[in-house]
Amino acid sequence: MIYMNAAESHLALLQYRELLKNLVIKDLKVKYRNSFLGFLWSLLNPLMMIIVYSVALKYILRVQVENFPLFLIIGILPWNLFSGTAIASTEAIINNANLIKKICFPREILPIATVLFHLAQFVLALVVFFPALFFLGAPWTPAIAAYPFVLLLQAVFTLGVALFLAAVTVSYRDVKYLTEVALMMLFWMTPVIYHLSMVPERVRWLFELNPMTAYITAYHEMLYWGRWPSAQMLLLGGIWAGLALGLGSWVFRRRQRFFAEDL
Amino acid sequence: MPPAIELRDVWKQFIIRHNRADSLKERFIGLFNRRYQEHHEILWALRGITLAVEPGEALGLIGPNGSGKSTLLRLIARTLYPTKGEVIVRGRVAPMIEIGVGFHHELTGQENIYLNASLYGLTRREVDRIYSKIVEFSELEEFIDVPVKNYSTGMYARLGFSIAVHLDPDILLIDEVLAVGDERFQRKCLERMMDFRRRGKTIVFVSHSAAAVKQLCDRACLLSQGTLVAFGEVASVLEAYEAQIAV
Repeated sequence: MIYMNAAESHLALLQYRELLKNLVIKDLKVKYRNSFLGFLWSLLNPLMMIIVYSVALKYILRVQVENFPLFLIIGILPWNLFSGTAIASTEAIINNANLIKKICFPREILPIATVLFHLAQFVLALVVFFPALFFLGAPWTPAIAAYPFVLLLQAVFTLGVALFLAAVTVSYRDVKYLTEVALMMLFWMTPVIYHLSMVPERVRWLFELNPMTAYITAYHEMLYWGRWPSAQMLLLGGIWAGLALGLGSWVFRRRQRFFAEDL
Repeated sequence: MPPAIELRDVWKQFIIRHNRADSLKERFIGLFNRRYQEHHEILWALRGITLAVEPGEALGLIGPNGSGKSTLLRLIARTLYPTKGEVIVRGRVAPMIEIGVGFHHELTGQENIYLNASLYGLTRREVDRIYSKIVEFSELEEFIDVPVKNYSTGMYARLGFSIAVHLDPDILLIDEVLAVGDERFQRKCLERMMDFRRRGKTIVFVSHSAAAVKQLCDRACLLSQGTLVAFGEVASVLEAYEAQIAV
């Protein structure tokens, strides 16, 4: 029997699910070990962000959004998940140069682990923030059942982006900085701290084309407006997720043969 | 039985990038300013290597620095891809090219055993079966719950070596790692490799040491500037090697 090349075969990904699990657990352990308050610290950052943004936007800039803290939390947590994963994924390959050079395993595992690690942290934080949402007056409707589905679409989209960024950073180390700049631009083009309806109609289509708009709007529909996410947003979100994953894995597969030499 | 490892007219090219533009910024500036342009130099690390290693055979790879030994080993380990030609490997490979690759300093010895073994594609159940043997061989029973950042270099190497030899590979690739631990542990490692041989496993061994090759290998091949200069019985290949050095 000829063994498949572990780095290239799709089937090998299944065989290496143990590695994937171990990598995610390792990251969680390293992050939270030796600090009993580790998990609480990870909540502090979004909490401060919510407070600062709420005060600044509501009382200084006077954004006309009712129950602004609720609106903000719903959108900013998934946004942070996306931007945090995207930045971390630029280092998924280059920070593991030693492994790539010496051991043959499916390289996709590394960016996938990055995505899952951030997703796991997000879900942990959600355990705390979800009750807070209802405390702040989120409508309790069956539409919440669609939340995991929207999150899944966002995760698939993020994975596509992560595969792309992880691969191109091997050749161009400044991709990380470009990513940070691009994320800042994208943040202001995503309805996290404003309604889409506040955007002048002339340019609104541009904002609607932003993939993150689809997911964030869907979260708002479920938890802020208390209705099912619109088919249009789900469809857009699904298309973006498929495109990103397709492009990301195509680029990754083309580049991965040269990772060991380029690192 | 088909050969465990087959190389068919394998060529490997490395592109040495002088003045490497490893950022988009430098790429961009290079468009306008020749001084910042990348220059490429092509280096053929392997030129048309054809060889077969039979199952159960121990092959020694010798040659001066830069002759392509390590490149060849990494092609078999599948971390590099041939530019031309084919590399066929039949069986599970355990590369011992460097010991302790993939250890995480904050994790304990035990956690690292599980993480490291899964890097080689083992499932949890498979590791459960060999776990106690790994610990016993490494003689680290007392320190297995300690983060490896607190290990000495020797302990670190012992743990890495123990994992590698217990993966139960069909093919073992060794790149001069015999030099780990004290003399007693080195002897133990050599014994373990002899044991591998007795059980009919395939070994590819890269070394500068004629004595080690003589002791472990059935056949040897001599590489020079990326080509196969001599291939066959250990004694005659070593003779060719010594003749080459003498020149």
